[in-house]
Amino acid sequence: MAKRSIGMVLASKVLGSGREVENSIKPTINPIEFDRTTSNSVISTTLNDLSNWARLSSLWPLLYGTSCCFIEFASLIGSRFDFDRYGLVPRSSPRQADLIITAGTVTMKMAPSLVRLYEQMPEPKYVIAMGACTITGGMFSTDSYSTVRGVDKLIPVDVYLPGCPPKPEAIIDAIIKLREKVARELYEDRVEPKQVKRYFTRKHRLHVGPSIHTEKDEQKFFHQSSESQFQSALEIPSETSESTSEILFSKIENTRVRYLIGE
Amino acid sequence: MQGRLSAWLAKHKLAHRPLGFDYQGTETLQIKSEDWASIAVALYVYGFNYLRSQCAYDVAPGGLLASVYHLTKIEDNADQPEEVCIKVFVPREDPRIPSVLRIWKGANFQERESYDMLGIFYESHPRLKRILMPESWIGWPLRKDYIAPDFYEIQDSH
Repeated sequence: MAKRSIGMVLASKVLGSGREVENSIKPTINPIEFDRTTSNSVISTTLNDLSNWARLSSLWPLLYGTSCCFIEFASLIGSRFDFDRYGLVPRSSPRQADLIITAGTVTMKMAPSLVRLYEQMPEPKYVIAMGACTITGGMFSTDSYSTVRGVDKLIPVDVYLPGCPPKPEAIIDAIIKLREKVARELYEDRVEPKQVKRYFTRKHRLHVGPSIHTEKDEQKFFHQSSESQFQSALEIPSETSESTSEILFSKIENTRVRYLIGE
Repeated sequence: MQGRLSAWLAKHKLAHRPLGFDYQGTETLQIKSEDWASIAVALYVYGFNYLRSQCAYDVAPGGLLASVYHLTKIEDNADQPEEVCIKVFVPREDPRIPSVLRIWKGANFQERESYDMLGIFYESHPRLKRILMPESWIGWPLRKDYIAPDFYEIQDSH
């Protein structure tokens, strides 16, 4: 792996994936990058390639899908367009996934959830923006009042995959391009996990309080019955406040049990 | 069958206005918002036990809002069941219509959607809140005079 090949690799990163790279090296493209002393040793580049190969052969995507593109993504999980042969195992939890294929339109209501999912994924993580809706807003880009025009306004994207929806073969092509991108990565460029600011947690104490049910009918009935119980409870002579509350709670439980039975 | 339901309503002295027939022959009636609660019960008694759909639309910018109910009869071995379309027009400034949730349960989410998109307030609906837009959204998106706010996410991507 000579310096020349590393130069070609860097040039292709600048020009973008998928375009033919000319054979001549252009040293004036990015002089700062070119001056960097990338290691020439066989061992470190082999280790670099090994780690890249290990990561690209088992990209685990998050089982995420909002709308129609997810149908195409789900057909990949089946037997016709099997994506297990690329090492992709769909994971339900973002903590265990390292690839998110944003399949489906993202609206402003969904945007915070998507960003939260992306933040919960551990480094190194990759994003494939699938379908026209996640690239520029797609068919909703003209008149919609709530569609996010392109998911790259929310999260950084590695591969853009056009289509509406893209065929499963096109999704596999995007995965292959992502694998090629992962293969080109350098060890020095990796993102180091930064220590996030920690907050001290406080003691969590259970406070028994009124429930937040919004079903007004149930509450009306419940309050009617409990109010009558309160009045009768107050008339009972009580020694301590604890015993009153016990009596109250037992009476409330009795009324609740009766309500459930349907008396 | 020229206006069968209209004739039945006139016989029982329930105020309504027939709006003709649409292209499929469905009778269309207009009912005032104040009378709608009682006439809905009358229609349920007549036999319309299924609310096929409830939708709403904006008639004209600066004009009225309409809430549309498609009712039909569900019965065993039905052949060409009766259908009717009821429109309730309300002013834009104070759009309030009594909810028909207690009569036809299917109106629950559909009235919430009409509220969310056009701002028509359905009285005595137990949980009338936004269903499609985020909870904190201001404005009624499907009104003809709605101007979408200039959020970063909605601006064109380059």
